[in-house]
Amino acid sequence: MTSSLAFRRFAFVFGPAFAVLYVIALAYDLALFTVYPSLGIVLAGTHRSKDAVDPAMGFLAPAMYWYGWAATAALGALGFALAVALLPGRWSFRLWSGWVWVIPLAAMTACAYLTLPWFRLSP
Amino acid sequence: MATTLLIIHGLVAVALLGATTHQTLATWIPTRTRPDSFVGRFRTVPSAAFANAIVLLYVASALLGAVVYLYFRVDVRPGLERGGHWPALGFFDIKEHFVSIGLALLPAYWICWQQPRGSELAPTRAALTTILSCIVWWSFLVGHIVNNIRGFGA
Repeated sequence: MTSSLAFRRFAFVFGPAFAVLYVIALAYDLALFTVYPSLGIVLAGTHRSKDAVDPAMGFLAPAMYWYGWAATAALGALGFALAVALLPGRWSFRLWSGWVWVIPLAAMTACAYLTLPWFRLSP
Repeated sequence: MATTLLIIHGLVAVALLGATTHQTLATWIPTRTRPDSFVGRFRTVPSAAFANAIVLLYVASALLGAVVYLYFRVDVRPGLERGGHWPALGFFDIKEHFVSIGLALLPAYWICWQQPRGSELAPTRAALTTILSCIVWWSFLVGHIVNNIRGFGA
């Protein structure tokens, strides 16, 4: 019973925490690592193509940040959710369960907003 | 290899799309629907039984997508950038953000579906199911559009 309650707390905190941290990672470019698929290398932290190759050759080494943003958010959310799940019962307090979908929905809206610059580029 | 993975990714996505759409509609269709009608029969499926399958299919589809994304970044996206398909790339970025957030919602979604139908978590369960369904539909459509811009094997 206690373990299922702890898992429930973990699950209900992990989702919203991940969503918030993902938006922060996206907005401030906080990738835990950067992937260069054409070179087959992974570098810790956020790196630009010009950091790995000459700027004029940047197109040869496209950088991918999505894995790094997700890892940043997952790691942060994991720590936060584990802390809440392991919190002694007397320190916990009841929150509206709707936050588990309201916060991610707001985060999805923020992600769409942060993607708007793509739509302002001319063909 | 990339084409094979893309086809498997597509097939898993179709199964996920069917399961999540069925579950979402069964969640929202009112109980007063005539039981012998098509909608009534549609609603009476044990939608809780879909939860495990949806979690597994979502994780499988996200993992396959994460692998195919490497090929997309190297072989497909530069061509789309040269062609000025910026809105398509924007939609694709939104897809990857939504999928990540959806993945993190799966534990809460699964717990909600383990509760009895009339429990206090019923509204939360309906909301999470709808959000996941919207993410799956968005991802499916955007994936198709981006794939179709250059055409199969282009």
